[in-house]
Amino acid sequence: MRLDDTPARGRAAMRPSGTASRDTLGSALLLMAPALALYAVFTLLPVALTFWLSFSQSAGFNTGAQFTGLDNYRKAAADPIVWQSLRHTFLWLAYHVVLAGGLGLALALAIARLGRSGVFFRTAFFLPHLVSLAVVGVIWANIYDPFFGLLNTALTGLGLGAYTQGWLSEPVLVLFSVNVASSWQGFGLYMLLFIAGLQNIDPALYDAAEVDGANGFQKLIHVTLPGLSEVMTFVVSLAMINGLKGFATVFVMTNGGPFYQSELITTYIYRLAFQAQNHGQAAVLCILLSLLAIAITIVFNRWRARLAR
Amino acid sequence: MFKQLVRTAALAIVIAASSAAGAQTLRMWGPEQITEPLIAELWNGIKAEFEAANPGAKVEFIPPTGTISNGAVQAAIQSGVGPDVILTNSGIGRIAVVRNAKQVLPLTGEYEKRGWKDNIYPWLYSELQRQFGGEIYEVPDGLDALGIWYHKDMFAERGWKIPASWTEFAALMKAMQTAGVQPLAIGPRTTGSAGHLFGSLLQAASGREAIGKALRGELAWDDRTIVAGAVRLRELVEADYIQKRMAGLDLEGASRLWFSKRAAMFVAGPWFTANARKAGYDLANAGFAAMPSDIPGETIPTGGVGWSWLVPVNSKQPELALKWIDFVLSDAVMRKRAQHSASTMIYPRELKGIEPATPVLKEIFAVAAGGVGYNPSVYLPGPVLDTYFQVIQGLISAQLSGEEGMKQIQAKMSEAK
Repeated sequence: MRLDDTPARGRAAMRPSGTASRDTLGSALLLMAPALALYAVFTLLPVALTFWLSFSQSAGFNTGAQFTGLDNYRKAAADPIVWQSLRHTFLWLAYHVVLAGGLGLALALAIARLGRSGVFFRTAFFLPHLVSLAVVGVIWANIYDPFFGLLNTALTGLGLGAYTQGWLSEPVLVLFSVNVASSWQGFGLYMLLFIAGLQNIDPALYDAAEVDGANGFQKLIHVTLPGLSEVMTFVVSLAMINGLKGFATVFVMTNGGPFYQSELITTYIYRLAFQAQNHGQAAVLCILLSLLAIAITIVFNRWRARLAR
Repeated sequence: MFKQLVRTAALAIVIAASSAAGAQTLRMWGPEQITEPLIAELWNGIKAEFEAANPGAKVEFIPPTGTISNGAVQAAIQSGVGPDVILTNSGIGRIAVVRNAKQVLPLTGEYEKRGWKDNIYPWLYSELQRQFGGEIYEVPDGLDALGIWYHKDMFAERGWKIPASWTEFAALMKAMQTAGVQPLAIGPRTTGSAGHLFGSLLQAASGREAIGKALRGELAWDDRTIVAGAVRLRELVEADYIQKRMAGLDLEGASRLWFSKRAAMFVAGPWFTANARKAGYDLANAGFAAMPSDIPGETIPTGGVGWSWLVPVNSKQPELALKWIDFVLSDAVMRKRAQHSASTMIYPRELKGIEPATPVLKEIFAVAAGGVGYNPSVYLPGPVLDTYFQVIQGLISAQLSGEEGMKQIQAKMSEAK
């Protein structure tokens, strides 16, 4: 046997014959079949049905859906509440990223270097995340009660009665007020992610900065925040996805009111689909929401890639 | 060992299958506040009697998570594992939503076959027949009569009285404000609560006939006659008789203001007795009067069908559901309910010789005996309802003028046509 035969024979042995290739493909398909079936039934089929519904007039699955072409799209474009809820959704996203993400970062920075007491604070701050959003909505609606609520009562008690507000009735405040409740529930998770990020920063960098005479603020700007950039992009994308899903607190606390001032795309979809039984127009908004999520993800990923370069 | 396991499993399957075949469970959506001990006591008694009369039948209550207005009933039916029979807030507007979605069974034939038509007021049966071209989808369980609830002691102490005219009523509210008492409380975050006050104002300002015409689409909602009620609501807000902040309150928050006597008046129906009892309010101190109107003969409560029985198209026990409705409509059950201290409504037929369980109910029944007008929340078409409720919030939070608000409602009415 020649020595140079071995690799060639090895390559031949590694290259599957036609039958073997078909067998491998068959086995692969067989193994993937359950997952593919589930994906088709629970993801692809609903997506296809939503598309179909958006081109039809339907009052629910028990009724026949009539094909109406682009009628639902035209109606949605002419509906001022759609545009208002879209604007609110963007505002909601921004509030959530800043409030929940910002609070998560601030608290992570505050407690990351604590010793045993850090565990206590970590647990305490994470606890709201374990409460369901519907319950959070009920709790905060009571806190915001303009007559008996904790917030206005506390302000009055502190001699700040002039600052009491109708937190859920003032058109300019209501979306922010509800978002505070939602962000209060969400910040714990972001805080934990930031703490994990902080633990990964090499302590030698802080020593080096100290040797260079950097003060606390400079260390935060030049060492901590750059060290958290990876986690930060992850948290921002997570916060944006969670923000887009905003529904429960608005539904419980204001149901989109007063006079649509806290209406989000998600709550308007629910209103159209389950209150007005207008499934066609609701489907259009579902598609709009999906496109929004896809667009945000693409833009964000490109921005992230550019930052990494 | 393996054979023994197989035998045991087979036996278990046979037992499970036979028990499933033998037992019939009727899953019932409602009643509201079933978690309240007094209401639970009443309904558990009715359930036990039904189960005794129908061997093998079991009734299971599903505490309602909402109504047709907020989509909870529709979502429950659509889930496919929802209730077999439903007791919920009704009225033509709400019923139209589930009827158009083909979520409920027509019950027209059953009215004749099972004698239901003789178990409700004849005028009520005629009204039901007119709603969907002769087809009926609901069986009324209770009627509503909405008016002003007030504190008897507070009014007696200060010499106040609910007057007969709107002009005097406005003067009374001024006096209340001067005395440091909030005249009216409203919780428009709960859609029904928003509609109770607004509907009363509309009727008091425009009269029953005009509101009836507007509901039938014979008169535009932005017509001056109808706009008057919306303008009146804005005037109440401007005068602070209703605070703007109340736009952020729900029924519970607003009724808390009334129960604590920070507010003098609250617009509600007979069902408010349950809320009052839950809050520990002394029901003997509650008084009831219709919203005053300057139009002669129009100082009457608003109302309509408040609650109805529905049978979902996907009910797994449709026959048992019909039997349950037979049972609930029977004289024995209706009298039992009317006499029970948990009773909170006007029943769909006359029940002679029954003394209402609380004095305030007696007052409500007496006021309603003179006639009841329209509560638009019950009569408006489903697709308009949401705009109607949002407009009320807009008026209270001073985002809209009366004219602007009614234009919005009219636009939706035209669309719904």
